[in-house]
Amino acid sequence: MNELHAPYLIIGFSVAGRWGARAIRENDPGTPIVAVSDERGWYSRPLITYVLGGKSRGVDHTGLLFDATSLAVLEGERVERLDTINRVAFLRSGKRIFFEKALLAPGGVPIVPPLEGITERGVFTFTGKGDLEKMRQFLEEVHPKRVLILGGGFIGLKTCEAFMHRGFEVTVVELSSRLLPLMLDEDGSRYLEKALVQAGVKVVLGETVVAFEGSGQKLTQALLRGGKHLPVDCAVVAVGVRPNVEWLQDSGIEIRKGIVVDEFQETSKKGIFAAGDVAETRNFLTGERNVVAIWPEAVRQGKVAGANMAGTRISYPGSLPLNVLDLGGVALVSAGLVNPPQGGGFEVLVRKEKDEYMKVVLENECIVGIIMLGRIEKSGIYIRLLRERIPVTGFKERLLDPKFGLVNLPREFRKSWVEGVGVEV
Amino acid sequence: MKKIRIHEEYCIGCHLCEITCVVKHSPSGKIIKTFREEKENRPLPRVRVEEEGYVSFALQCRHCDDAPCVENCLTGAMYRDEKTGMVLCDEDRCMGCWMCVMSCPFGVAERSKDRTRVGSKCDGCVGKGEVPPCVENCPNEALTYE
Ligand SMILES: Cc1cc2nc3c(=O)[nH]c(=O)nc-3n(C[C@H](O)[C@H](O)[C@H](O)COP(=O)(O)OP(=O)(O)OC[C@H]3O[C@@H](n4cnc5c(N)ncnc54)[C@H](O)[C@@H]3O)c2cc1C
Repeated sequence: MNELHAPYLIIGFSVAGRWGARAIRENDPGTPIVAVSDERGWYSRPLITYVLGGKSRGVDHTGLLFDATSLAVLEGERVERLDTINRVAFLRSGKRIFFEKALLAPGGVPIVPPLEGITERGVFTFTGKGDLEKMRQFLEEVHPKRVLILGGGFIGLKTCEAFMHRGFEVTVVELSSRLLPLMLDEDGSRYLEKALVQAGVKVVLGETVVAFEGSGQKLTQALLRGGKHLPVDCAVVAVGVRPNVEWLQDSGIEIRKGIVVDEFQETSKKGIFAAGDVAETRNFLTGERNVVAIWPEAVRQGKVAGANMAGTRISYPGSLPLNVLDLGGVALVSAGLVNPPQGGGFEVLVRKEKDEYMKVVLENECIVGIIMLGRIEKSGIYIRLLRERIPVTGFKERLLDPKFGLVNLPREFRKSWVEGVGVEV
Repeated sequence: MKKIRIHEEYCIGCHLCEITCVVKHSPSGKIIKTFREEKENRPLPRVRVEEEGYVSFALQCRHCDDAPCVENCLTGAMYRDEKTGMVLCDEDRCMGCWMCVMSCPFGVAERSKDRTRVGSKCDGCVGKGEVPPCVENCPNEALTYE
């Protein structure tokens, strides 16, 4: 059958797509959903680094499984073009899907800088399970020892952690003057750098690779901008991901940094929604429009999109950058605005210890950013205070205390926080 | 679904709930052995007494309706049990991404002692009796099950 009819069409069936489908189901139990995915099976993208590092056996995600009676999933199928006037999705296989409402959740694609030698055998990007397969095969066949990671952002460092865990010699090359420049501040980056160096990683800052050089069959070295050569057998290019939007170029849908959506996750074309790593949303704190490509936001956007598609009006409060990592034995959490602009009226609280660092950024008595490094327990409480814009007046001096907890909140907050979920404190 | 309820006005801060919880989840299940011999593999308490001045109360997983730990779990280890409605953790599936630690609005998800997986997830003591042992052993009904 080459023509299908879909009251609800979902393109890309991963985090955002699945949460979208689930929200549609909850708000409209009967109407059929067709989902198209060019990958097979449901797996967790972040798990690829844990499998590489030997911490996880497989990449499959065991949550969010669906009842097949209400949903048809076309796997291994790719949507190549979207006609938003006649509401048709054209698949590579020749199939056509006529839809009423659609959710675009095609995620991101790794940025591949046009470097000399980027196609050399042994140079990888690492964002999907296909990359994991290729990497495993390469490791088995070539037995590399020296790995270079280009990019000290969270995907680069998670990949670094995996190689480190398996005993490879790892060098991280980062263009910025410090690691995780978006998630950490100057001090936080130094703590992390110290831990990584102690764990045996070579960290090269303020540098980048301008060329990969090899014998045609095998990568042998990387040329840095400063002129130095680094001998390497394997390289992972992790300089970022960008929204997967090429296939939408002539769809008429407004695209800036990503697919532009309103607070209902609806695009510039009525009835067509977008969520996850592909969507440009408003930042919860600053109001700036940006793509916040993290798992928790893909969930929240998927839920909002799905509910609105099924006629339940709910709005997205805005995106909040946040993440948690465990690198070289150091766990760290970062959320919100961690590098507040000078002179913007922000108050910054800091606690530094040998292996612990904590920073809380306040604006008008409300938490707008937090870094916890070394000790991450209870970070969820701070993030909740941030999300709910609860003033910290009265317990501000307790925020940095390692024993800080619900007990430090004013009684009326404790009560209202926990009401309805069975706590009466 | 029955839930553990918390009453701070009755809590005397004795920590018996924590002790009971550790023993119930320890390899031997026996109090003296747990604390004398099982120092290495003694589990963390899955209920914690929070104290500040004269105020104290015992806090454990609230089994949230839209549980962020379940939504954000990178493996699916954290899940909602269809039968009991409780949020549970399949510890074999957990590989320590700490998403739940960051996501828990009550701050009750903690890393295990060896830092390999979440170590403080209340499991409601499924199959360990009608009333959870922390509730049963509370001397002043500061925890109730209703
Ligand atoms: C190595 C790595 C580690 C990460 N670690 C973390 C972490 O620790 N914490 C965190 O919060 N986030 C992490 N992330 C980010 C997180 O994985 C993403 O934010 C999340 O997967 C986004 O979900 P999504 O549904 O928007 O997109 P994706 O998960 O990218 O899914 C999009 C799906 O759509 C399919 N698709 C694309 N185009 C088409 C088309 N035209 N037709 C059909 N199907 C299509 C794709 O093949 C894919 O299956 C990590 C990412 C990577 C790569």
